[in-house]
Amino acid sequence: MKTIIYTFLVLLVSVNGYGQKKYNKILVEGATVHIGNGNVISTGSVGIENGIITLVKNTLAYTYDKSDWDTVITLNGHHLYPGFVAPNSTLGLTEIDAVRASRDFQEMGTFNPHVRAQIAYNCESDVIETVRTNGVLMIQTTPRGGRISGQSSLMASSCWNWEDGTIKADDGVHIDWPSAYTRKWGDPITKTNETYEEQKRELIAYLKYAKVSAGNKDKNTPLQYSAMSDCFNGEKRFYFHADEVQQINDILDLISELDIKFPVIVGGYESYLVAERLKIKNVPVMIGRLHSLPRHDDDAFDLPYKLPFLLQQAGVQFCLQNEGDMEAMNARNLPFLAGTAMSYGLTEEEAIRSITLSACEIMGISKNYGTIEVGKKAVLYGSTGSALEMKSNQASLLLINGIFVPTTNFQTELYKKYKTKYGK
Amino acid sequence: MIRYIVALLFPLSVFSQAEKPHNGVKAPDQNSFVLTNVTILISPDKTIENGTITVRNGKITSVDKILLTTPKDLVVIDGNNAVVVPSFIEVNSTMGIPADQKAENKTGPYYWNHAIRAEFDAIDWYKADEKMTAEYQKMGFGSVLIHRNDGLAQGYGSLMQLGTTNTDNQPYLSKAASFYSFRKGSSPQDYPSSLVGSIALLRQSFYDAQWHAEYGKDANYTLEALTLQLKKPAFFTLDDKSDVFRVKSFMREFKREFAVIGTGQEQFLGNAWDTLKIPVVIPINFPEAFDLKDPYLAHEIPYSELKIWEMASRNPGFLFKHKVPFITSAAGHTTAADFWKHIHQALAAGWSVNDVLRSLTIAPATLLGVQKELGTIETDKWANFTVYDQNPFLYKAKVLEVFSKGERRILQNAPISDIRGTYSLNIDGVKYWLEIAGTPSQPEAKVKLVRTIQDSLTLANKSDTLTTKAKLTLLNNDIAIHFVQQIDGENQAFSLKGDVNPRVFIFEGEGTNNKGRWIKWSALRNKKYEAKDENKQAWTADTLTISPTRFPNSAFGFTAPPKQSVIIFEQATIWTNTDEGIIQEGTVIVENGKIKAIHKGSGTYMKPNDAVVINARGKILTTGIIDEHSHIALTRGVNEGGQAVTCEVRMEDAINAEDIDVYRQLAGGVTAAQLLHGSANPIGGQSALIKLKWGHYPHEYPIKNAPKFVKFALGENVKQSNWGVSNRFPQTRMGVEQVYIDAFSRALAYHQAKSGQQTGKQKDKNITPPAVDLELEALYEIVSGERKITCHSYVQSEINMLMHVADSFGFKVNTFTHILEGYKLADKMKEHGVGASTFSDWWAYKFEVMDAIPQNAALMTNMGLTVAINSDDAEMGRRLNQEAAKTIKYGGATEEQAWKMVTLNPAKLLHLDDRMGTIQVGKDADLVLWTNNPLSVTAKPLYTVVDGEILFDAQKDFIIQQEIAAERARIIAKMSEESKKGESTKPFLRKRKGHFHCNTLGEEESLEVNEH
Repeated sequence: MKTIIYTFLVLLVSVNGYGQKKYNKILVEGATVHIGNGNVISTGSVGIENGIITLVKNTLAYTYDKSDWDTVITLNGHHLYPGFVAPNSTLGLTEIDAVRASRDFQEMGTFNPHVRAQIAYNCESDVIETVRTNGVLMIQTTPRGGRISGQSSLMASSCWNWEDGTIKADDGVHIDWPSAYTRKWGDPITKTNETYEEQKRELIAYLKYAKVSAGNKDKNTPLQYSAMSDCFNGEKRFYFHADEVQQINDILDLISELDIKFPVIVGGYESYLVAERLKIKNVPVMIGRLHSLPRHDDDAFDLPYKLPFLLQQAGVQFCLQNEGDMEAMNARNLPFLAGTAMSYGLTEEEAIRSITLSACEIMGISKNYGTIEVGKKAVLYGSTGSALEMKSNQASLLLINGIFVPTTNFQTELYKKYKTKYGK
Repeated sequence: MIRYIVALLFPLSVFSQAEKPHNGVKAPDQNSFVLTNVTILISPDKTIENGTITVRNGKITSVDKILLTTPKDLVVIDGNNAVVVPSFIEVNSTMGIPADQKAENKTGPYYWNHAIRAEFDAIDWYKADEKMTAEYQKMGFGSVLIHRNDGLAQGYGSLMQLGTTNTDNQPYLSKAASFYSFRKGSSPQDYPSSLVGSIALLRQSFYDAQWHAEYGKDANYTLEALTLQLKKPAFFTLDDKSDVFRVKSFMREFKREFAVIGTGQEQFLGNAWDTLKIPVVIPINFPEAFDLKDPYLAHEIPYSELKIWEMASRNPGFLFKHKVPFITSAAGHTTAADFWKHIHQALAAGWSVNDVLRSLTIAPATLLGVQKELGTIETDKWANFTVYDQNPFLYKAKVLEVFSKGERRILQNAPISDIRGTYSLNIDGVKYWLEIAGTPSQPEAKVKLVRTIQDSLTLANKSDTLTTKAKLTLLNNDIAIHFVQQIDGENQAFSLKGDVNPRVFIFEGEGTNNKGRWIKWSALRNKKYEAKDENKQAWTADTLTISPTRFPNSAFGFTAPPKQSVIIFEQATIWTNTDEGIIQEGTVIVENGKIKAIHKGSGTYMKPNDAVVINARGKILTTGIIDEHSHIALTRGVNEGGQAVTCEVRMEDAINAEDIDVYRQLAGGVTAAQLLHGSANPIGGQSALIKLKWGHYPHEYPIKNAPKFVKFALGENVKQSNWGVSNRFPQTRMGVEQVYIDAFSRALAYHQAKSGQQTGKQKDKNITPPAVDLELEALYEIVSGERKITCHSYVQSEINMLMHVADSFGFKVNTFTHILEGYKLADKMKEHGVGASTFSDWWAYKFEVMDAIPQNAALMTNMGLTVAINSDDAEMGRRLNQEAAKTIKYGGATEEQAWKMVTLNPAKLLHLDDRMGTIQVGKDADLVLWTNNPLSVTAKPLYTVVDGEILFDAQKDFIIQQEIAAERARIIAKMSEESKKGESTKPFLRKRKGHFHCNTLGEEESLEVNEH
């Protein structure tokens, strides 16, 4: 009977489209509830009122009056997760990688802290649709390019427009730290970057001016500087994109010098070599795509896979991200990156945390997002099997801020269309 | 005797041709003499001391231990115990060839492709380079084979005699040899743009030359030169040590000989040299140590580079031990000091003196066919030898004189004798001591004055010695000594000049004293100098044992070549991929590279003593993963993008057995792959079907007797849609169809012409058979169904088109690869009988993949197609098991279906399923033991076995990581030590590991966005 309700519901949702009807009191019961903070309830019930989680309990120990809930969804044997978060992604800013007209993530110029990704976020992106149905329900849509790329925003993976889709606007400024080694486009040779010191000085000088500017509450602050003023006081993040030891060390020095409150390292391929410093300075790392080849011939073949474990052992805070080749469409594999982290040292719940709560903590939205706990926004992903496994991640429930979202996308529709053609 | 008379009647070739008019009176030749009192290194295995060389008209007429009577008509030169060594012969030099000359776009009777420049003769461009000539002479070289290093077929080289005065750049031997390389050089044409293209072009030009020699009526200087060059020594310059196998393949195909100009890394090919049987020229300009100032940059230096540095000086010794008759080249050296330093280093590292001499004289002379004239100091040979103050192989010697065809050039005056010792020196009645030390050719002097002084305290007399450094110059028997003595605060200068009597060691002469007065002086030697340190050998044998090289030279290479062994997987859960399904507990026995037996339960079986027994309880044993679409393990280009049709190129020619991605994919359970040409052209190159035989040579990778495959491509890549400006046909899908129809029609016409010739009862002399055309040969194989197509494809229209074109020519397309819209026409594909090899979930990277859906593989499977999941990506290639698992998620495939998509199905698509893809007795032992269900993200390979060899072992991998860390630290410490000693260092430039993608153009690997 309960499964019938569930099937009916999904049908209803897919017919009506998301957001059509508000369900004010929803109870999801029977699933294994992965809280997101490392804890798990093997059979749990989650209650939602007006988009906020109001109840998290063991199903077996909880009796309720059906009439208290206007919707009851039974997910026996399923898994329920906080919606996964894709940090540092061009999702929403690009559609077809090879078509220039569809690329909106890179503004011209070197210093673009004032550029904001939020307003270019395409709610109707076909790509986002396919990412959403694998459990990625929140996206840090992020600009690229230049020395300072611009500001990212935290967006819901389903919305009518970028305004109602915004979870947190302009959450931070992204800085592409210069490489200590020259890596010219198309040039396969790595050598010491002779201009590194100069590039670094230029960037640091720019940030120092911005900091002074942030202190002066002068109306005439230049646009570029004012865009960064909240990054120094911790309101917003500074995201330093860097992989090399040299870069990370220099960033850590700068952080002390400018007293930056919430710096984040993005990438951090060699962060394991300076883990001690990162821990002491309490600087988290958004680890680069785990499904990558080692950068050096002598690195262990599985070094990228075990990077989360290495940082965890060293006590460094981290989350996973997916920047790289074809990153927008590939973002749907984010849960499988967590799966890989799990195979290479993390526990299942730690792995889940690395794409839920940890990401929200690092980006500064953990007050309302990242776990299935009372008081948090209801952003939930239900899957019939483990969502971290390729073979068993199968959407059974998508809930964003308490609103049902279809578990289908245009690809499942095309699939259905041709199945019908062949009579299969 | 007869020979002697002939020589007398026609004294050499002096009158060979009419002489150039002289300005003034003809200067007499000075190339006849007797050189006595020398140590002669006649040949590598014969040395005489106190010998005499008689030279007439530039040629040696006798070499004697003792010359009884000196010919009256000859000048006698006293060698004064110097050491005479045959002049060396350099075979690899571009001296005198202007570096900035580029291949011109010649029209006329030349080959159509300007990378083939066989008609080029280096002598045409040669300009004597006096500086380099002098440096070569200081190294000990007497003749140098010069050539221009530009292009695939580079033309003729000339052997130049150094040091003769009246040659007017006349070569010793013109057109002495021909030169080849794998680089197209400065040719302005697009084709070839890759190694595979270069090899195809060279092969085609050899075939064209063969045809031209037999049937050609029109002049073609290039082809004529190629034919002429068959009779001469030919050198092939290698870019990479493994290129030697590529040259061997030319030698087999065209039944001709080549010598190779190596890289200095020959030892990293290990035992291959025992069977290679190919003359090799090696450089000895050993690499400098890296600059290790920046520890982070040092961290980026791969082990392989460190090891190359450490082992470099052992390369000659290695080849010597393997009895390879190699030639040594000074290429890369700009100073004689460096050259000899490296010779000594190599001697210290296991080379032998005799072999050094052999490799610099007899070996090159023999290869060039001039061994009767050059290379040793023997009667009837040219008087080409170098005189050193001491044996240059043992000591830091100096070149004193050079004889070039008998012409004498003095570089440094030999000391009249070793005057070193302690002398009593008498200057105007005052007695001094003169101590002469230093070296015989550069003596250093000190003057000592012993006097008696009174101690100011005790007033006692005591003896005191005042020592002053003196400047001593000795030229023949002229001696000059100058010193300034400080006595009681006064400078006293003495300048003495005199003669040396070298027999009794008495100096005598006049000079000025401190007062400027002329005085007499003399000196008499009391004591000979005791040679202690200065005669120390320039090197001592390095007896340190250092850790062995790995094969391949990589952190994860093997220290001993992998071997097939009996392997027994006990109590495994066996995924058979057959009707047997999963055997819950069974044993698989591997022997001689095959699966020998499978026992269900706990059967009894023989365990040979040397068997590797693996307890596989609770583990999953599967057949190895086969990647239908891969571009790893390739070198210098994946696309021959220069033309729309390039099926003459073979990926097999470019296999890179050192690609670390081979190891990484073994760690992901991959055992075989189809290495495909890229997708730059409608008809690409021939595939290489390989096994991932890490630790083997490149020619051991291809699967024996594998079916023939070729790459086709459709859509945006062949239209060059996303590559900026393009003006190559085709630019639309419409054009692509026509390229195919044209190509197949040409192939049929070619075949008809060829078979008409062959089947005709009598060879019609008037009908010329077509020349071998490698492109058309391959095309005919395709159109006749012998060579199977793997076609890169995305949208349904073009897929439909190719099936129609194939049908109209009466053959079938074998596989559509990528095939992201396969689900839209699975029924038509089924009807045509074509298989599909696709990505699990890729899309949105370009316009033509906007309708790609991850349910594709499962839906095509349901429609009865043979479906594989491939990678086309070096990273994803190591997780193909996980990619297969996605078909369960997206299209509802069963686990069995999913697993077959990366094992049995690609085997079927490649027509290798009779030997791979299932666990059955008699099949290839390509096996993977997984920790758990390989379709789970948590599964990891514990062992990967290829042809019965364990090529990945998870436990060993962990050990290697520790070993390599230690090894790196050891070599880096050694390197730092070296740079402290003042050896020069170089900054580290790391070639980043790029990867070949479908759309990578050119020879360099791409770091760009992959557009597949």
